[in-house]
Amino acid sequence: MFTATIFLPLLGAIIAGFFGNRLGNRFAQLVSVLPMLASAVFSCVILFWVGFQGQSQTIHLFTWIDVGTLEISWALRFDTLTAVMVFVVTVVSAMVHVYSIGYMAQDPHIPRFMAYLSLFTFFMLALVTADNFVQMFFGWEGVGLCSYLLIGFWFQRPSANAAAIKAFIVNRIGDFGFMLGIFGVFYAFGSLDFDTVFDAVPGVAGQSFNFLGMNVDIVTTLCLLLFIGAMGKSAQIGLHTWLPDAMEGPTPVSALIHAATMVTAGVFMVVRLSPMYEFAPIALTVIVFVGASTAFFAATIGLTQWDIKRVIAYSTCSQLGYMFFAVGVGAYPAAIFHLMTHAFFKALLFLGSGSVIHGMHDEQDMRRMGGLFPKMKVTAALMWIGSLSLAGVPLFAGFYSKDIILESAFAAHTGMGLYAYWLGIAVALMTAFYSWRLLFLTFHGKTRADDQTFDEVHESPPVIIAPLLVLALGAIFSGWLAVEYFVGDQMKEFWGGSILMLNNVIEEAHHVPDWVVWLPTGMAAIGIAAAWVMYMAMPGLPKQLATAIRPVYRFVFRKWYFDELYDMIFVRPSFYLGHGLWKSGDGDVIDGVGPDGIAAATRNIAGRVGRMQSGYLYHYAFAMLIGIVGFATWFLFGFFQ
Amino acid sequence: MNLTADLMIASPELFVAIAAMFLLIFGVFQGNQSTRLVSWLGVGVMFIAAILVLAGPVGRVVAFNDLFVVDGFANFAKILLLLGAALTLILAVPFNAREGIPQFEYPVLILFAVLGMMMMVSANDLISLYLGIELQSLSLYVLAAIRRDAVRSTEAGLKYFVLGALSSGILLYGMTLVYGFAGSTGFDDLAAVFAESAGDGAPIGVIVGLVFIIAGLAFKVSAVPFHMWTPDVYEGAPTPITAFFAVAPKIAAMALFVRVMLEPFGDLFDQWQQVIWFISLASMILGSFAAINQTNIKRLMAYSSISNMGFVLVGLAAGNETGVQGVLLYLTIYLFMNVGTFACILAMRRQGRMVEDIDQLAGLSRTNPKMALALAIFMFSMAGIPPLAGFFGKLYVFLAAIEAELYTLAVIGLLTSVVGAFYYLRIVKLMYFDDPLDAFDQPVGREISTIVFGTSVVTALFAIIILVFPLLDSAANAAATLFAV
Amino acid sequence: MIIQAFAFYLFALTAIAAGVMVISARNPVHSVLFLILAFFNAAGLFILLGAEFIAMILVIVYVGAVAVLFLFVVMMLDINFAELREGFLQYLPIGALVGIILVAELMLIFGSWVINPEAAQIIAAPSAAPAEITNTHALGRLIYTEYIYLFQAAGLVLLVAMIGAIVLTLRKRPNVRRQRISEQISRPVEDVIEIKDVPTGSGI
Repeated sequence: MFTATIFLPLLGAIIAGFFGNRLGNRFAQLVSVLPMLASAVFSCVILFWVGFQGQSQTIHLFTWIDVGTLEISWALRFDTLTAVMVFVVTVVSAMVHVYSIGYMAQDPHIPRFMAYLSLFTFFMLALVTADNFVQMFFGWEGVGLCSYLLIGFWFQRPSANAAAIKAFIVNRIGDFGFMLGIFGVFYAFGSLDFDTVFDAVPGVAGQSFNFLGMNVDIVTTLCLLLFIGAMGKSAQIGLHTWLPDAMEGPTPVSALIHAATMVTAGVFMVVRLSPMYEFAPIALTVIVFVGASTAFFAATIGLTQWDIKRVIAYSTCSQLGYMFFAVGVGAYPAAIFHLMTHAFFKALLFLGSGSVIHGMHDEQDMRRMGGLFPKMKVTAALMWIGSLSLAGVPLFAGFYSKDIILESAFAAHTGMGLYAYWLGIAVALMTAFYSWRLLFLTFHGKTRADDQTFDEVHESPPVIIAPLLVLALGAIFSGWLAVEYFVGDQMKEFWGGSILMLNNVIEEAHHVPDWVVWLPTGMAAIGIAAAWVMYMAMPGLPKQLATAIRPVYRFVFRKWYFDELYDMIFVRPSFYLGHGLWKSGDGDVIDGVGPDGIAAATRNIAGRVGRMQSGYLYHYAFAMLIGIVGFATWFLFGFFQ
Repeated sequence: MNLTADLMIASPELFVAIAAMFLLIFGVFQGNQSTRLVSWLGVGVMFIAAILVLAGPVGRVVAFNDLFVVDGFANFAKILLLLGAALTLILAVPFNAREGIPQFEYPVLILFAVLGMMMMVSANDLISLYLGIELQSLSLYVLAAIRRDAVRSTEAGLKYFVLGALSSGILLYGMTLVYGFAGSTGFDDLAAVFAESAGDGAPIGVIVGLVFIIAGLAFKVSAVPFHMWTPDVYEGAPTPITAFFAVAPKIAAMALFVRVMLEPFGDLFDQWQQVIWFISLASMILGSFAAINQTNIKRLMAYSSISNMGFVLVGLAAGNETGVQGVLLYLTIYLFMNVGTFACILAMRRQGRMVEDIDQLAGLSRTNPKMALALAIFMFSMAGIPPLAGFFGKLYVFLAAIEAELYTLAVIGLLTSVVGAFYYLRIVKLMYFDDPLDAFDQPVGREISTIVFGTSVVTALFAIIILVFPLLDSAANAAATLFAV
Repeated sequence: MIIQAFAFYLFALTAIAAGVMVISARNPVHSVLFLILAFFNAAGLFILLGAEFIAMILVIVYVGAVAVLFLFVVMMLDINFAELREGFLQYLPIGALVGIILVAELMLIFGSWVINPEAAQIIAAPSAAPAEITNTHALGRLIYTEYIYLFQAAGLVLLVAMIGAIVLTLRKRPNVRRQRISEQISRPVEDVIEIKDVPTGSGI
């Protein structure tokens, strides 16, 4: 069953991908959705066995690479961490599969889409069940590939292609760090097996080695390199630029890949490697800094965006920052907890916004929405639930996970922890604000859509709504159902050996002052109130405010000029360099000297040789004589030497 | 040593000589209406001569006071050149009847040329070598100009004659130098002299004389820089004569070349190797490059034969048994490829007129798929594409070159064969991918179609043929006889 | 001895001078005449060597036949030799260079002349001492025994040359009236001559 859980999506992908076109859309949908649902059911059982019964196990499938000292097997490692991830991935994926049936009903390439989705799920599962670095990298690259394919799914749209390329390239930058990290691990430990490496880490901690000419701490360096990979995949500040653009993909893709699963791979990786990171305090500090900064920076941008999906995308970016600083302060279970709750409510939000977009006939700009509540009550209610959860309103799932993260940060009692805490509080405020800004702009107030569009707005069909309901259940209940096991009293038994924590931050987090606990909630309330004031009570206020602090607003609205900066520093020089290499390097030098040059020289020589054949007898005779004299001279000189 | 035994040894040559003279008399009395009969009789004569060669003595035998030698190498070469001459004579029969070459002397001169070639490959003395060459060349000069009313044919004959005379002079001059310094013209004596003086180096006169002899022989195999006559003569001569030129004299001259270099001058290997190395290289390069711009298919074949001779000379430059085996194999393959190609060229007629422009082959695959297929086989083979015959020829000479550590030669040779592939494959491209022109005249004639079929089968299935027939072994045995002395 | 040496240098120098004149004379007829002079001197050299047969052959064949034939050809063909020589100067520098190099090299070679020590043993087919038999006799004995193969081959070369000459030049002109002697002499008188008895004084 363990194996089946992983490989059922692959089976679905293969069948839908290779035979879908021949067997029809309905077949492709069935053949990908049914294994996915089965897989989701299995994953619940696995979670029960592994998490609650403590039956961790590793299933060895086959030896993959066996070269010299490098031996890599294909094995499925099922411990609690994996079980949770498999559960999250399969459940969200199954819901997205079902949702896609309705959402993509009009698309001409349904089998391809379903195949990509299933294939993505398989790679993601391969990633989370990896038993060694290479297998993890396999899944890592696989999800990157599928992400590329899915973002560029509407390949007729140039913007989709550009976004797909951007996502792939930015991810490759992170992957480069990840690969260096893997190489470094093999160099330092002589193995790529998680268990072997983890066992060896305490012995290696504190030693240094030569990297790029500098003597650096081994574990810290490797952890930082691997973290670069995680930054790329999880869209942390600096390598985040691809995520908002990735919204060019179909909405189910955004929900599955860019909210619930793939982007959390970085978080998962760091948690999985907790036995390494625990011995690299400097690396953890860096992670806290990056995570907290991302959370804040993405939230500010989220305040200003008008595209409904972009708002949620920046929100995702911000929430990932939460997870990272949780990891950084050593609260790994808190990070995974938030990962899970976030998966539910963020998938819910994305799919809900997809439902809105669907109902509005592919309108994504919130400035042309508003007042949709009477037309799509269910969707609006579900979006409310998602937003409540996201904002961390008590009793909703997000409340539990976000609180424990902030408390852990506070409880860490380090400068960086406090930095994270206060930024986190600010982010909580902004999160609540932009979430309700989104709700108010979309569902309430007077409509800004033109009449015809507004008249045609309709509630989505049941096949779209049903998955939303399931996810809404998760967004509501997953918090208080899981809190005891994930971060509460039964934490140790639940996680077993899958996570290593040297300092028990979580334990301390339960004993922080009360104001620390309630401050985020208060902030959320203030944020919601502020949003109501600005978008319901006094709709003119935002514009005035934007004008008043125009430079700041512009800076934030233009996404802190990251895209422009990258465009100037990397993209344009690369284009110039590429263009130069293409025109003068490849065109003039390689083609010029190589194929074209040789061909031209050949023709040139041929022409000359042809002219030599003048037809005059005495030329011919003369050539013969010169030949003779040449040979004779050659020999005479050779002879007398 | 009695004359009867000598005559028995030379029986194939004797038979050809007497038969040629008989056919000459026959033709004189019967007039030009007997040309067809005389031609077929000539083919028969060559067939019988080949049988006599095969029935001749096994192993090395000398005759006529050491002037004449028969060994496995000579026999192999004689069979090849008889085959080549017979096939091209068959090709000539319908052509001559059609194109107004009525002279019955045509087959007679071919027979005399063949006789000269047989004497060349059996020469065991510089003088018999020279006489063989002259007998052959004189016949060829006349044959090149045999269409005496066509300007180009007479021009070709005249050019060939003048340059041939010059090369004969060079050859003779070299011989006198060698004779003057070594004191003998016999191959066996020369070999003995050089073997003794090998330690302290041959006299400079011998070396320079050898250079002159090489130049004279290089002219006969049309190797660079003594190749200039080839394109003009090939283009000007009537096509069956060109086919004959491209095959039989090349085989004979190359066999002679190999024998002269390896038997009397074998101990001067270090000296002549670099000359052969150079002319081989130059031939391969020039032949490949010059062919690119040609528009006339006969000129193209001239350059093709120049580069092919360069490849054959690679085997000689290697100077070992593998090399000679490679030479013989290459010549065998070259024979079939060239005869086949020229048979195709002879079939290029439109409204009763010969066309020689390469562009006229455009779209042949649609107007005459069989001929296009055959020509494509020959072109692929000449380009050296496995598993066709041409590949094996190149393979063996280059193997020999590698064995002799002539890496530069081998590498450059392979590169030029890439250049060569360009113009061979251009023909294939023309035939298969360009818009068809008007069809060529049909039918092409029984003689041509039979020969095209036969040679293309040999070329295409060469890989199987060398498995079934002991061709490799017989070439190896023939090569070994040169080194046995 | 002195006379022999004197005669040698006389013949040799004259032959060389005549050779130079052959290629430098403006009038082609003069060239051929100088060629004949060169042949005569070469024949003289052969006589000095005691090869009187070859000397006579040279005179008879080359002077008597070849050179005279040349003379006829030169006189009958209208060739503008001045025009032919036009390109001469253009190629003179490089031609001279090649020629000088060749000459220099040959000088070097002949400067290093060493008779092969084994030459005496392997010298080809020694003939009888010239004092005992005549030139012609000695040649005949070699040609028809030791060198029969070469002699016959040379004969074939000549045969081919003859065939070639005929093939390339013989033309049958159907419209040309030819003299057929056998027909002429075998014709009966009656067919040719009609005898008429013409009475005197009557006219025809």
